[in-house]
Amino acid sequence: MRSKKYVLSTLLLLFPLLLAAHGVSASDQELLNNGGLLSYIYVGAKHMITGYDHLLFLAGVIFYLKGFKDIVRFITVFTIGHSITLIGATYLGIKANEHLVDAVIALSVLYKGFENLGGFEKYIKVKSPNLLLMVLIFGLIHGFGLSTRLQSFDVGTSQFLSKIVCFNIGVELGQVLALIPIVFIISFWKSKRSYKAFYKAANLYLIIAGMGLFLYQLYGYFNGH
Amino acid sequence: MKKIFFAIIVIALFCSHTMFLKLDSYFLEPHTPVTLQLFNGTFEESENVIDRNRMLDVSILNNSVRTKVSESQWTEKDSITLLNFKTGDAGTYVAGVSTKARSLEMEADAFNDYLEHEGIYDMLEWRKNNNALASKAIEKYSKHVKTIFQVGAIKTKDWQTVLGYPIEFVPLKNPYNLNTGDSLEVKLLLNGEPLANQLVYADYKAHSNSHSHNVNEDEKEHGHSHDNLKSHTHKDKSGSHSHEPKESEEPHTHASGQKLRTNAEGIAKAHLSADGIWYFQTIHLVNTEEEGLTHESNWSTLTFEVTHAHDEDTHTHEHGHEHGTNYTMYALLIGSLLLIGVLFFWFNRKNNKNEE
Repeated sequence: MRSKKYVLSTLLLLFPLLLAAHGVSASDQELLNNGGLLSYIYVGAKHMITGYDHLLFLAGVIFYLKGFKDIVRFITVFTIGHSITLIGATYLGIKANEHLVDAVIALSVLYKGFENLGGFEKYIKVKSPNLLLMVLIFGLIHGFGLSTRLQSFDVGTSQFLSKIVCFNIGVELGQVLALIPIVFIISFWKSKRSYKAFYKAANLYLIIAGMGLFLYQLYGYFNGH
Repeated sequence: MKKIFFAIIVIALFCSHTMFLKLDSYFLEPHTPVTLQLFNGTFEESENVIDRNRMLDVSILNNSVRTKVSESQWTEKDSITLLNFKTGDAGTYVAGVSTKARSLEMEADAFNDYLEHEGIYDMLEWRKNNNALASKAIEKYSKHVKTIFQVGAIKTKDWQTVLGYPIEFVPLKNPYNLNTGDSLEVKLLLNGEPLANQLVYADYKAHSNSHSHNVNEDEKEHGHSHDNLKSHTHKDKSGSHSHEPKESEEPHTHASGQKLRTNAEGIAKAHLSADGIWYFQTIHLVNTEEEGLTHESNWSTLTFEVTHAHDEDTHTHEHGHEHGTNYTMYALLIGSLLLIGVLFFWFNRKNNKNEE
Protein backbone atom coordinates (compact mmCIF):
# COMPACT_ATOMS: atom_id res chain seq x y z
CA MET A 1 0.00 0.00 0.00
CA ARG A 2 2.84 2.35 0.92
CA SER A 3 4.70 1.57 -2.28
CA LYS A 4 1.56 2.24 -4.34
CA LYS A 5 1.28 5.67 -2.76
CA TYR A 6 4.94 6.29 -3.45
CA VAL A 7 4.55 5.40 -7.11
CA LEU A 8 1.45 7.59 -7.46
CA SER A 9 3.05 10.63 -5.90
CA THR A 10 6.16 10.18 -8.05
CA LEU A 11 3.96 10.04 -11.14
CA LEU A 12 2.21 13.25 -10.16
CA LEU A 13 5.51 14.97 -9.53
CA LEU A 14 6.96 13.90 -12.84
CA PHE A 15 3.90 14.53 -14.95
CA PRO A 16 4.87 18.13 -15.79
CA LEU A 17 8.19 16.86 -17.13
CA LEU A 18 6.31 14.99 -19.80
CA LEU A 19 4.86 18.25 -20.97
CA ALA A 20 7.90 19.44 -22.81
CA ALA A 21 7.87 19.35 -26.56
CA HIS A 22 10.65 19.33 -29.05
CA GLY A 23 10.10 22.35 -31.23
CA VAL A 24 11.73 24.49 -33.83
CA SER A 25 14.50 26.62 -32.39
CA ALA A 26 15.96 29.85 -33.69
CA SER A 27 19.47 28.39 -33.55
CA ASP A 28 18.41 25.49 -35.76
CA GLN A 29 16.89 27.94 -38.22
CA GLU A 30 20.10 29.94 -38.16
CA LEU A 31 22.08 26.79 -38.80
CA LEU A 32 19.85 25.84 -41.72
CA ASN A 33 20.14 29.32 -43.16
CA ASN A 34 23.91 29.31 -43.14
CA GLY A 35 25.09 25.71 -43.01
CA GLY A 36 24.12 24.33 -46.42
CA LEU A 37 22.87 20.78 -46.93
CA LEU A 38 25.02 19.33 -44.14
CA SER A 39 23.11 21.42 -41.64
CA TYR A 40 19.92 19.66 -42.70
CA ILE A 41 21.55 16.32 -41.86
CA TYR A 42 22.60 17.69 -38.49
CA VAL A 43 19.19 19.17 -37.64
CA GLY A 44 17.46 15.96 -38.79
CA ALA A 45 19.72 13.86 -36.56
CA LYS A 46 19.32 16.27 -33.66
CA HIS A 47 15.57 16.21 -34.02
CA MET A 48 15.49 12.42 -33.91
CA ILE A 49 17.83 12.16 -30.93
CA THR A 50 15.92 14.79 -28.95
CA GLY A 51 12.56 13.67 -30.35
CA TYR A 52 11.72 11.46 -27.43
CA ASP A 53 8.29 10.47 -28.76
CA HIS A 54 9.91 8.77 -31.77
CA LEU A 55 12.50 7.11 -29.56
CA LEU A 56 9.99 5.91 -27.00
CA PHE A 57 8.00 4.24 -29.75
CA LEU A 58 11.14 2.60 -31.14
CA ALA A 59 12.14 1.43 -27.67
CA GLY A 60 8.71 -0.14 -27.34
CA VAL A 61 9.19 -1.94 -30.66
CA ILE A 62 12.66 -3.18 -29.65
CA PHE A 63 11.22 -4.64 -26.45
CA TYR A 64 8.94 -6.85 -28.46
CA LEU A 65 11.58 -8.21 -30.81
CA LYS A 66 13.85 -11.22 -30.59
CA GLY A 67 17.25 -11.13 -32.21
CA PHE A 68 19.19 -8.73 -34.38
CA LYS A 69 17.52 -9.83 -37.66
CA ASP A 70 14.12 -9.05 -36.22
CA ILE A 71 15.31 -5.61 -35.13
CA VAL A 72 16.72 -4.82 -38.58
CA ARG A 73 13.48 -5.97 -40.25
CA PHE A 74 11.21 -3.85 -38.09
CA ILE A 75 13.42 -0.78 -38.07
CA THR A 76 13.69 -0.99 -41.87
CA VAL A 77 9.89 -1.03 -42.16
CA PHE A 78 9.64 1.92 -39.75
CA THR A 79 12.29 3.78 -41.76
CA ILE A 80 10.49 3.13 -45.06
CA GLY A 81 7.24 4.32 -43.51
CA HIS A 82 8.55 7.58 -42.10
CA SER A 83 10.70 8.30 -45.17
CA ILE A 84 7.64 8.09 -47.44
CA THR A 85 5.66 10.67 -45.53
CA LEU A 86 8.62 12.83 -44.52
CA ILE A 87 9.82 13.28 -48.09
CA GLY A 88 6.41 13.09 -49.79
CA ALA A 89 4.47 15.40 -47.49
CA THR A 90 7.25 17.97 -47.30
CA TYR A 91 7.78 17.99 -51.04
CA LEU A 92 4.08 18.35 -51.72
CA GLY A 93 3.61 20.87 -48.92
CA ILE A 94 1.06 18.71 -47.11
CA LYS A 95 0.84 19.49 -43.44
CA ALA A 96 -1.54 19.30 -40.54
CA ASN A 97 -1.75 20.87 -37.13
CA GLU A 98 1.45 19.78 -35.41
CA HIS A 99 -0.29 19.27 -32.07
CA LEU A 100 -2.73 16.83 -33.63
CA VAL A 101 0.01 14.94 -35.46
CA ASP A 102 2.11 14.78 -32.29
CA ALA A 103 -0.96 13.63 -30.34
CA VAL A 104 -1.31 10.63 -32.68
CA ILE A 105 2.43 9.94 -32.32
CA ALA A 106 1.97 10.03 -28.54
CA LEU A 107 -0.82 7.47 -28.93
CA SER A 108 1.60 5.22 -30.83
CA VAL A 109 3.86 5.25 -27.75
CA LEU A 110 0.92 4.42 -25.50
CA TYR A 111 -0.16 1.70 -27.96
CA LYS A 112 3.23 0.00 -27.91
CA GLY A 113 3.46 -0.04 -24.13
CA PHE A 114 -0.10 -1.37 -23.90
CA GLU A 115 0.59 -4.08 -26.48
CA ASN A 116 3.88 -5.13 -24.87
CA LEU A 117 2.13 -5.60 -21.55
CA GLY A 118 -0.41 -7.88 -23.23
CA GLY A 119 -3.17 -5.29 -22.94
CA PHE A 120 -5.04 -6.47 -26.03
CA GLU A 121 -5.38 -10.05 -24.77
CA LYS A 122 -5.83 -9.10 -21.13
CA TYR A 123 -8.28 -6.19 -21.32
CA ILE A 124 -9.84 -6.21 -24.81
CA LYS A 125 -9.76 -9.99 -25.25
CA VAL A 126 -8.48 -9.79 -28.81
CA LYS A 127 -5.22 -10.72 -30.48
CA SER A 128 -2.74 -7.87 -31.01
CA PRO A 129 -2.76 -6.48 -34.57
CA ASN A 130 0.10 -7.53 -36.85
CA LEU A 131 3.10 -5.64 -35.48
CA LEU A 132 4.92 -5.27 -38.79
CA LEU A 133 1.86 -3.63 -40.31
CA MET A 134 1.37 -1.43 -37.27
CA VAL A 135 5.03 -0.37 -37.35
CA LEU A 136 4.59 0.62 -41.02
CA ILE A 137 1.43 2.61 -40.23
CA PHE A 138 3.02 4.31 -37.24
CA GLY A 139 6.14 4.90 -39.34
CA LEU A 140 3.99 6.83 -41.83
CA ILE A 141 2.50 8.89 -38.98
CA HIS A 142 5.90 9.59 -37.38
CA GLY A 143 7.19 10.65 -40.81
CA PHE A 144 4.28 13.05 -41.16
CA GLY A 145 5.19 14.49 -37.76
CA LEU A 146 8.80 14.92 -38.88
CA SER A 147 7.57 16.54 -42.08
CA THR A 148 5.38 18.97 -40.16
CA ARG A 149 8.41 19.92 -38.09
CA LEU A 150 10.61 20.38 -41.15
CA GLN A 151 7.94 22.50 -42.80
CA SER A 152 7.86 24.82 -39.80
CA PHE A 153 11.42 25.84 -40.73
CA ASP A 154 12.02 28.43 -43.41
CA VAL A 155 13.53 26.02 -45.92
CA GLY A 156 13.30 28.26 -48.97
CA THR A 157 12.87 26.97 -52.48
CA SER A 158 16.40 26.36 -53.72
CA GLN A 159 17.63 22.73 -53.52
CA PHE A 160 14.29 21.94 -51.95
CA LEU A 161 14.29 18.17 -52.54
CA SER A 162 17.96 17.85 -51.58
CA LYS A 163 17.25 19.62 -48.30
CA ILE A 164 14.36 17.26 -47.50
CA VAL A 165 16.45 14.20 -48.37
CA CYS A 166 19.35 15.48 -46.24
CA PHE A 167 16.99 16.06 -43.32
CA ASN A 168 15.74 12.49 -43.78
CA ILE A 169 19.30 11.15 -43.86
CA GLY A 170 19.92 13.02 -40.62
CA VAL A 171 16.82 11.45 -39.10
CA GLU A 172 18.11 7.97 -40.02
CA LEU A 173 21.56 8.71 -38.58
CA GLY A 174 19.99 10.04 -35.41
CA GLN A 175 17.78 6.98 -35.21
CA VAL A 176 20.75 4.62 -35.49
CA LEU A 177 22.72 6.58 -32.89
CA ALA A 178 19.78 6.55 -30.49
CA LEU A 179 18.99 2.88 -31.06
CA ILE A 180 22.49 1.66 -30.19
CA PRO A 181 22.18 2.31 -26.42
CA ILE A 182 18.51 1.28 -26.39
CA VAL A 183 19.25 -2.08 -28.04
CA PHE A 184 22.30 -2.54 -25.83
CA ILE A 185 20.42 -1.91 -22.56
CA ILE A 186 17.47 -4.13 -23.47
CA SER A 187 19.71 -6.94 -24.78
CA PHE A 188 21.94 -6.72 -21.73
CA TRP A 189 19.02 -6.88 -19.33
CA LYS A 190 17.29 -9.79 -21.07
CA SER A 191 19.63 -12.32 -19.49
CA LYS A 192 19.11 -10.93 -15.98
CA ARG A 193 16.65 -12.25 -13.44
CA SER A 194 15.18 -8.77 -12.99
CA TYR A 195 14.32 -8.38 -16.71
CA LYS A 196 10.64 -9.14 -16.07
CA ALA A 197 10.40 -6.21 -13.66
CA PHE A 198 12.37 -3.97 -16.02
CA TYR A 199 10.11 -4.96 -18.92
CA LYS A 200 6.97 -4.14 -16.94
CA ALA A 201 8.40 -0.89 -15.57
CA ALA A 202 9.59 0.36 -18.95
CA ASN A 203 6.37 -0.49 -20.76
CA LEU A 204 4.19 0.99 -18.02
CA TYR A 205 6.33 4.07 -18.38
CA LEU A 206 5.59 4.09 -22.13
CA ILE A 207 1.86 4.09 -21.36
CA ILE A 208 2.24 6.93 -18.85
CA ALA A 209 4.52 8.93 -21.14
CA GLY A 210 2.26 8.32 -24.15
CA MET A 211 -0.78 9.47 -22.18
CA GLY A 212 1.08 12.51 -20.82
CA LEU A 213 2.30 13.56 -24.25
CA PHE A 214 -1.15 12.98 -25.74
CA LEU A 215 -2.82 15.21 -23.14
CA TYR A 216 -0.12 17.83 -23.56
CA GLN A 217 -0.63 17.96 -27.33
CA LEU A 218 -4.39 18.20 -26.93
CA TYR A 219 -3.89 21.00 -24.43
CA GLY A 220 -1.64 22.74 -26.95
CA TYR A 221 -4.18 22.26 -29.72
CA PHE A 222 -7.14 23.65 -27.79
CA ASN A 223 -5.22 26.48 -26.15
CA GLY A 224 -3.12 27.47 -29.14
CA HIS A 225 0.08 26.99 -27.14
CA MET B 1 15.84 42.23 -81.28
CA LYS B 2 17.00 39.90 -78.54
CA LYS B 3 18.79 42.77 -76.80
CA ILE B 4 15.67 44.90 -76.93
CA PHE B 5 13.70 42.03 -75.46
CA PHE B 6 16.14 41.66 -72.56
CA ALA B 7 16.23 45.39 -71.99
CA ILE B 8 12.43 45.49 -71.75
CA ILE B 9 12.45 42.68 -69.20
CA VAL B 10 15.19 44.26 -67.12
CA ILE B 11 13.56 47.69 -67.15
CA ALA B 12 10.28 46.12 -66.11
CA LEU B 13 11.93 44.32 -63.23
CA PHE B 14 13.68 47.44 -62.07
CA CYS B 15 10.53 49.47 -62.23
CA SER B 16 8.75 47.09 -59.87
CA HIS B 17 9.96 48.41 -56.56
CA THR B 18 8.23 47.56 -53.36
CA MET B 19 8.18 50.19 -50.64
CA PHE B 20 8.82 49.50 -46.96
CA LEU B 21 9.07 51.59 -43.82
CA LYS B 22 11.89 50.24 -41.69
CA LEU B 23 13.72 50.91 -38.45
CA ASP B 24 17.01 49.63 -37.13
CA SER B 25 15.16 48.56 -34.00
CA TYR B 26 11.42 48.36 -33.49
CA PHE B 27 11.82 48.63 -29.72
CA LEU B 28 12.62 52.23 -28.83
CA GLU B 29 12.91 54.41 -25.80
CA PRO B 30 10.49 57.29 -25.15
CA HIS B 31 11.67 60.80 -25.99
CA THR B 32 14.67 59.75 -28.04
CA PRO B 33 15.68 60.63 -31.62
CA VAL B 34 14.82 58.00 -34.20
CA THR B 35 15.41 57.59 -37.92
CA LEU B 36 12.70 55.94 -39.94
CA GLN B 37 13.90 54.54 -43.25
CA LEU B 38 11.79 54.50 -46.38
CA PHE B 39 13.01 51.76 -48.71
CA ASN B 40 11.96 51.61 -52.33
CA GLY B 41 13.24 48.44 -53.95
CA THR B 42 13.40 45.23 -52.00
CA PHE B 43 13.15 44.71 -48.27
CA GLU B 44 16.93 44.35 -48.12
CA GLU B 45 17.99 47.12 -50.43
CA SER B 46 16.53 50.47 -51.40
CA GLU B 47 17.01 51.33 -55.06
CA ASN B 48 16.00 54.96 -55.08
CA VAL B 49 14.78 57.80 -52.91
CA ILE B 50 11.23 59.12 -52.94
CA ASP B 51 10.60 62.73 -53.88
CA ARG B 52 8.75 64.71 -51.23
CA ASN B 53 6.16 65.82 -53.77
CA ARG B 54 5.20 62.18 -54.29
CA MET B 55 4.21 61.85 -50.65
CA LEU B 56 0.51 62.46 -50.15
CA ASP B 57 0.60 61.60 -46.48
CA VAL B 58 3.25 60.94 -43.89
CA SER B 59 1.83 60.28 -40.44
CA ILE B 60 3.00 59.12 -37.06
CA LEU B 61 0.33 57.92 -34.71
CA ASN B 62 0.71 57.53 -30.98
CA ASN B 63 -1.70 57.68 -28.05
CA SER B 64 -4.55 58.43 -30.49
CA VAL B 65 -2.78 61.53 -31.82
CA ARG B 66 -1.94 61.52 -35.53
CA THR B 67 0.96 63.81 -36.34
CA LYS B 68 1.55 64.87 -39.94
CA VAL B 69 5.24 64.97 -40.74
CA SER B 70 6.62 68.02 -42.46
CA GLU B 71 8.86 67.87 -45.51
CA SER B 72 11.80 69.35 -43.64
CA GLN B 73 12.11 66.27 -41.47
CA TRP B 74 13.14 64.13 -44.44
CA THR B 75 16.72 63.59 -45.51
CA GLU B 76 18.41 61.24 -47.92
CA LYS B 77 21.31 58.86 -47.68
CA ASP B 78 22.38 56.93 -50.75
CA SER B 79 19.14 55.42 -52.03
CA ILE B 80 17.25 55.56 -48.76
CA THR B 81 14.82 58.29 -47.76
CA LEU B 82 15.14 59.01 -44.05
CA LEU B 83 12.67 60.55 -41.65
CA ASN B 84 14.17 61.94 -38.46
CA PHE B 85 11.85 62.42 -35.54
CA LYS B 86 11.76 62.11 -31.78
CA THR B 87 9.61 59.56 -29.98
CA GLY B 88 7.10 60.86 -27.46
CA ASP B 89 5.47 59.05 -24.60
CA ALA B 90 5.55 55.27 -24.41
CA GLY B 91 3.12 53.39 -26.60
CA THR B 92 2.66 51.26 -29.67
CA TYR B 93 3.33 53.62 -32.58
CA VAL B 94 2.20 53.49 -36.17
CA ALA B 95 3.94 55.34 -38.99
CA GLY B 96 2.58 55.50 -42.51
CA VAL B 97 3.46 56.88 -45.91
CA SER B 98 1.07 57.14 -48.83
CA THR B 99 2.31 58.16 -52.27
CA LYS B 100 0.71 59.76 -55.30
CA ALA B 101 -0.14 57.61 -58.25
CA ARG B 102 2.17 57.43 -61.23
CA SER B 103 1.73 55.63 -64.50
CA LEU B 104 4.04 53.41 -66.48
CA GLU B 105 3.78 51.93 -69.94
CA MET B 106 5.04 48.43 -70.50
CA GLU B 107 5.27 46.08 -73.44
CA ALA B 108 3.28 42.87 -73.09
CA ASP B 109 6.23 40.60 -72.31
CA ALA B 110 7.67 43.02 -69.80
CA PHE B 111 4.31 43.35 -68.11
CA ASN B 112 3.87 39.56 -67.94
CA ASP B 113 7.35 39.18 -66.45
CA TYR B 114 6.67 41.91 -63.94
CA LEU B 115 3.44 40.15 -62.86
CA GLU B 116 5.35 36.93 -62.29
CA HIS B 117 8.27 38.68 -60.63
CA GLU B 118 6.02 40.38 -58.10
CA GLY B 119 3.78 37.34 -57.57
CA ILE B 120 0.68 38.99 -59.04
CA TYR B 121 -0.52 35.63 -60.25
CA ASP B 122 -4.23 36.46 -60.37
CA MET B 123 -3.74 39.04 -63.13
CA LEU B 124 -1.28 36.79 -64.94
CA GLU B 125 -3.88 34.02 -64.85
CA TRP B 126 -6.54 36.42 -66.08
CA ARG B 127 -4.37 37.45 -69.02
CA LYS B 128 -3.74 33.80 -69.89
CA ASN B 129 -7.43 32.91 -69.69
CA ASN B 130 -8.51 35.94 -71.70
CA ASN B 131 -5.87 35.75 -74.43
CA ALA B 132 -4.46 39.05 -73.22
CA LEU B 133 -0.84 38.00 -72.81
CA ALA B 134 0.11 39.91 -75.92
CA SER B 135 -1.51 43.16 -74.78
CA LYS B 136 0.74 45.94 -73.61
CA ALA B 137 -0.14 47.76 -70.41
CA ILE B 138 -0.32 51.27 -69.10
CA GLU B 139 -0.48 50.94 -65.35
CA LYS B 140 -1.28 53.55 -62.75
CA TYR B 141 0.33 52.60 -59.47
CA SER B 142 0.59 54.02 -55.98
CA LYS B 143 2.18 52.74 -52.79
CA HIS B 144 0.94 52.92 -49.22
CA VAL B 145 3.12 51.57 -46.44
CA LYS B 146 2.95 51.27 -42.67
CA THR B 147 5.16 50.19 -39.83
CA ILE B 148 4.30 49.43 -36.21
CA PHE B 149 6.91 49.83 -33.49
CA GLN B 150 6.98 49.77 -29.72
CA VAL B 151 8.21 52.69 -27.64
CA GLY B 152 8.78 51.93 -23.98
CA ALA B 153 6.77 49.25 -22.24
CA ILE B 154 3.24 50.60 -22.44
CA LYS B 155 1.10 49.04 -25.18
CA THR B 156 -1.45 51.37 -26.72
CA LYS B 157 -4.21 50.66 -29.21
CA ASP B 158 -2.96 52.78 -32.10
CA TRP B 159 -1.92 49.66 -34.02
CA GLN B 160 -5.58 49.09 -34.92
CA THR B 161 -6.18 52.60 -36.28
CA VAL B 162 -7.08 52.79 -39.95
CA LEU B 163 -5.00 55.51 -41.60
CA GLY B 164 -7.43 55.76 -44.50
CA TYR B 165 -5.01 54.91 -47.29
CA PRO B 166 -6.35 53.51 -50.57
CA ILE B 167 -5.03 50.13 -49.47
CA GLU B 168 -3.69 49.19 -46.06
CA PHE B 169 -3.06 46.33 -43.70
CA VAL B 170 -4.60 46.57 -40.24
CA PRO B 171 -3.51 43.92 -37.75
CA LEU B 172 -6.20 42.30 -35.63
CA LYS B 173 -3.84 42.04 -32.66
CA ASN B 174 -1.02 44.17 -31.39
CA PRO B 175 2.09 42.50 -32.89
CA TYR B 176 3.96 43.49 -29.73
CA ASN B 177 1.68 41.31 -27.65
CA LEU B 178 2.77 38.33 -29.73
CA ASN B 179 5.84 36.14 -29.58
CA THR B 180 7.73 34.10 -32.10
CA GLY B 181 5.65 31.04 -32.86
CA ASP B 182 2.34 32.90 -32.65
CA SER B 183 0.14 33.75 -35.59
CA LEU B 184 -1.02 37.19 -36.64
CA GLU B 185 -4.16 37.98 -38.57
CA VAL B 186 -4.25 41.15 -40.61
CA LYS B 187 -7.22 42.73 -42.34
CA LEU B 188 -6.58 44.14 -45.78
CA LEU B 189 -8.67 47.19 -46.61
CA LEU B 190 -9.15 48.63 -50.08
CA ASN B 191 -10.72 52.07 -49.92
CA GLY B 192 -11.78 51.28 -46.38
CA GLU B 193 -13.55 48.02 -47.28
CA PRO B 194 -12.26 44.48 -46.63
CA LEU B 195 -10.52 43.12 -49.70
CA ALA B 196 -11.36 39.45 -50.18
CA ASN B 197 -9.47 36.79 -52.15
CA GLN B 198 -6.31 38.87 -52.46
CA LEU B 199 -2.84 37.31 -52.56
CA VAL B 200 -0.71 38.47 -49.65
CA TYR B 201 2.87 37.52 -48.86
CA ALA B 202 4.34 37.40 -45.37
CA ASP B 203 8.05 37.06 -44.85
CA TYR B 204 10.72 38.10 -42.38
CA LYS B 205 14.31 39.12 -42.16
CA ALA B 206 16.33 38.24 -39.13
CA HIS B 207 17.19 41.22 -36.98
CA SER B 208 20.82 42.17 -36.67
CA ASN B 209 20.62 41.73 -32.89
CA SER B 210 22.69 38.87 -31.54
CA HIS B 211 19.76 36.70 -30.58
CA SER B 212 18.32 36.59 -34.04
CA HIS B 213 19.32 34.38 -36.92
CA ASN B 214 20.44 35.30 -40.38
CA VAL B 215 18.33 34.97 -43.45
CA ASN B 216 18.83 32.43 -46.11
CA GLU B 217 21.19 34.52 -48.14
CA ASP B 218 20.83 32.78 -51.43
CA GLU B 219 17.12 33.47 -51.26
CA LYS B 220 16.87 36.85 -49.67
CA GLU B 221 20.01 38.83 -50.29
CA HIS B 222 19.15 39.61 -53.82
CA GLY B 223 18.94 43.03 -55.24
CA HIS B 224 19.27 45.09 -58.34
CA SER B 225 21.74 47.70 -59.42
CA HIS B 226 20.50 50.84 -61.09
CA ASP B 227 24.02 51.83 -62.00
CA ASN B 228 23.93 49.46 -64.89
CA LEU B 229 20.55 48.36 -66.04
CA LYS B 230 21.98 45.39 -67.87
CA SER B 231 23.38 43.85 -64.73
CA HIS B 232 21.32 41.90 -62.28
CA THR B 233 23.11 41.23 -59.05
CA HIS B 234 22.68 38.47 -56.52
CA LYS B 235 24.75 38.19 -53.41
CA ASP B 236 25.72 34.83 -52.06
CA LYS B 237 27.88 33.65 -49.21
CA SER B 238 31.00 33.76 -51.31
CA GLY B 239 30.45 37.34 -52.27
CA SER B 240 28.44 38.68 -55.12
CA HIS B 241 28.26 38.09 -58.80
CA SER B 242 26.56 39.78 -61.67
CA HIS B 243 25.23 38.27 -64.80
CA GLU B 244 23.39 39.19 -67.91
CA PRO B 245 19.81 37.98 -67.83
CA LYS B 246 19.44 34.91 -69.94
CA GLU B 247 16.39 33.79 -71.81
CA SER B 248 16.46 30.38 -70.20
CA GLU B 249 16.68 31.70 -66.67
CA GLU B 250 13.64 31.44 -64.46
CA PRO B 251 12.74 34.87 -63.20
CA HIS B 252 13.14 35.19 -59.47
CA THR B 253 10.33 36.68 -57.47
CA HIS B 254 10.06 39.30 -54.79
CA ALA B 255 6.97 37.51 -53.52
CA SER B 256 8.80 35.23 -51.11
CA GLY B 257 7.72 33.80 -47.77
CA GLN B 258 4.29 32.63 -46.80
CA LYS B 259 1.81 32.89 -49.65
CA LEU B 260 -1.54 33.83 -48.15
CA ARG B 261 -4.94 34.74 -49.49
CA THR B 262 -7.45 36.94 -47.71
CA ASN B 263 -10.79 35.39 -46.79
CA ALA B 264 -14.25 36.90 -47.30
CA GLU B 265 -13.58 39.34 -44.45
CA GLY B 266 -10.32 40.42 -46.01
CA ILE B 267 -8.31 38.62 -43.34
CA ALA B 268 -5.03 36.78 -43.91
CA LYS B 269 -3.17 34.87 -41.22
CA ALA B 270 0.61 34.44 -41.02
CA HIS B 271 2.60 32.20 -38.73
CA LEU B 272 5.38 34.22 -37.12
CA SER B 273 7.77 31.33 -37.13
CA ALA B 274 11.02 33.07 -36.25
CA ASP B 275 12.55 36.11 -34.62
CA GLY B 276 12.98 38.97 -37.01
CA ILE B 277 11.47 41.90 -38.81
CA TRP B 278 8.29 40.67 -40.41
CA TYR B 279 6.47 42.19 -43.33
CA PHE B 280 3.21 41.68 -45.12
CA GLN B 281 3.05 42.82 -48.71
CA THR B 282 0.45 42.84 -51.42
CA ILE B 283 -0.17 44.39 -54.81
CA HIS B 284 -3.80 44.80 -55.79
CA LEU B 285 -3.76 45.12 -59.57
CA VAL B 286 -6.92 45.32 -61.64
CA ASN B 287 -8.00 46.25 -65.16
CA THR B 288 -9.30 49.76 -65.44
CA GLU B 289 -11.49 51.64 -67.87
CA GLU B 290 -9.86 54.94 -66.96
CA GLU B 291 -8.87 56.90 -70.01
CA GLY B 292 -5.29 56.35 -71.11
CA LEU B 293 -4.81 53.42 -68.74
CA THR B 294 -5.21 49.67 -68.87
CA HIS B 295 -4.46 48.78 -65.26
CA GLU B 296 -4.44 50.26 -61.80
CA SER B 297 -2.45 48.94 -58.86
CA ASN B 298 -2.25 49.77 -55.19
CA TRP B 299 0.73 48.46 -53.26
CA SER B 300 0.79 47.96 -49.53
CA THR B 301 3.27 46.75 -46.94
CA LEU B 302 3.26 46.49 -43.17
CA THR B 303 6.41 45.94 -41.09
CA PHE B 304 6.95 45.10 -37.42
CA GLU B 305 9.34 43.07 -35.30
CA VAL B 306 8.80 39.76 -33.59
CA THR B 307 10.96 38.40 -30.80
CA HIS B 308 10.70 35.74 -28.15
CA ALA B 309 10.28 38.40 -25.48
CA HIS B 310 8.95 41.80 -26.29
CA ASP B 311 9.97 43.42 -23.05
CA GLU B 312 12.68 45.90 -23.88
CA ASP B 313 14.72 44.67 -20.92
CA THR B 314 14.81 41.17 -22.28
CA HIS B 315 15.46 42.22 -25.81
CA THR B 316 19.05 41.06 -25.69
CA HIS B 317 18.40 37.49 -24.66
CA GLU B 318 20.51 35.06 -26.60
CA HIS B 319 19.31 31.54 -27.08
CA GLY B 320 17.53 31.71 -23.73
CA HIS B 321 14.67 29.78 -25.16
CA GLU B 322 16.91 27.00 -26.27
CA HIS B 323 18.64 26.84 -22.91
CA GLY B 324 15.20 26.50 -21.36
CA THR B 325 14.38 23.71 -23.79
CA ASN B 326 17.66 21.97 -22.97
CA TYR B 327 16.98 22.16 -19.23
CA THR B 328 13.52 20.73 -19.81
CA MET B 329 15.02 17.94 -21.87
CA TYR B 330 17.48 17.08 -19.10
CA ALA B 331 14.71 17.26 -16.52
CA LEU B 332 12.55 15.03 -18.67
CA LEU B 333 15.35 12.52 -19.09
CA ILE B 334 16.20 12.43 -15.39
CA GLY B 335 12.51 12.32 -14.44
CA SER B 336 11.86 9.50 -16.87
CA LEU B 337 14.78 7.47 -15.55
CA LEU B 338 13.63 8.11 -12.01
CA LEU B 339 10.10 7.01 -12.84
CA ILE B 340 11.31 3.84 -14.58
CA GLY B 341 13.58 3.20 -11.59
CA VAL B 342 10.74 3.53 -9.11
CA LEU B 343 8.49 1.30 -11.19
CA PHE B 344 11.30 -1.20 -11.60
CA PHE B 345 11.91 -1.51 -7.85
CA TRP B 346 8.21 -1.81 -7.23
CA PHE B 347 7.72 -4.61 -9.78
CA ASN B 348 10.95 -6.30 -8.73
CA ARG B 349 9.89 -6.34 -5.09
CA LYS B 350 6.52 -7.68 -6.11
CA ASN B 351 8.16 -10.45 -8.17
CA ASN B 352 10.50 -11.36 -5.31
CA LYS B 353 7.56 -11.55 -2.91
CA ASN B 354 5.65 -13.80 -5.32
CA GLU B 355 8.68 -16.07 -5.67
CA GLU B 356 9.03 -16.33 -1.87
